[in-house]
Amino acid sequence: MLGRRRHLSAEPESHGIDLAPMLDFVINLLIFFIITAVFVKESGLVLNRSTGVENPTQSDAESIVIQILANGDIYVDDRQVDAQAVQANVQRMKAASPESAVLIVANNAAPTGVLVEVADEVRQAGVFDVTFNTTE
Amino acid sequence: MHAKRHIAAEEHHGIDLAPMLDFTINLLIFFIITTSFIKEPGVTVIKPEASTAANDPNGNLLIAVRESGEIWMDRREVEMRDIRLMVERFHIERPDDNVVIIADRESAAGLVAEVMDMVKAGGIQNVSIAADAPGGG
Repeated sequence: MLGRRRHLSAEPESHGIDLAPMLDFVINLLIFFIITAVFVKESGLVLNRSTGVENPTQSDAESIVIQILANGDIYVDDRQVDAQAVQANVQRMKAASPESAVLIVANNAAPTGVLVEVADEVRQAGVFDVTFNTTE
Repeated sequence: MHAKRHIAAEEHHGIDLAPMLDFTINLLIFFIITTSFIKEPGVTVIKPEASTAANDPNGNLLIAVRESGEIWMDRREVEMRDIRLMVERFHIERPDDNVVIIADRESAAGLVAEVMDMVKAGGIQNVSIAADAPGGG
């Protein structure tokens, strides 16, 4: 009886800090971060925008021009090509002039899917300096 | 003799919280480090596919352009003229972060170009167009 009472009074002091409120706080913080955490990262393609709107037909010979029409047709060097053939065409033209950059001229109404597809093909061909313009 | 009785008392004191606390704090630190507060557009769009799409770890402001031409940003629909101001504000808050435009496959390229110009006018030069890896979700 005597021993028990002494035990009750002496125990909390000798035991150190009570961890329970700290644990509550830490778990609340943890829940907050779990809820706000977003693990989805978007991957994408970086495209440049040229500031001045140039006329595609008279752009300098330095750059390879790819046109995308409103219906999604792709023209490389004024010839209609398939989306899969863009890479080969760009590679061939890049071999002729290795310094050239690529300019994609898309119609305002052209679907973005085609634009991204073309940009992807160009990047697969090894040209990462892709600029894109839009025309009426 | 008292000391021995004291040790015995610890057993009926309940579970030892220290290992749990260690674990919880480790978990907490993990979440603090990995969290990045992405501003999500709040709508789903069907993204184009591209095999050379690169992951941008700083692409934290997402702007969605839907097939219908609606522009969504930070979980609400915005007007074209609002983008610049919102991007400016975001750029001040988090100067190292970039913008990713999530454009629908069928959205007009002209609209995407316009959004891109607005973002650049707002001060963020590093803009990319989101694309999925082919075959992946």
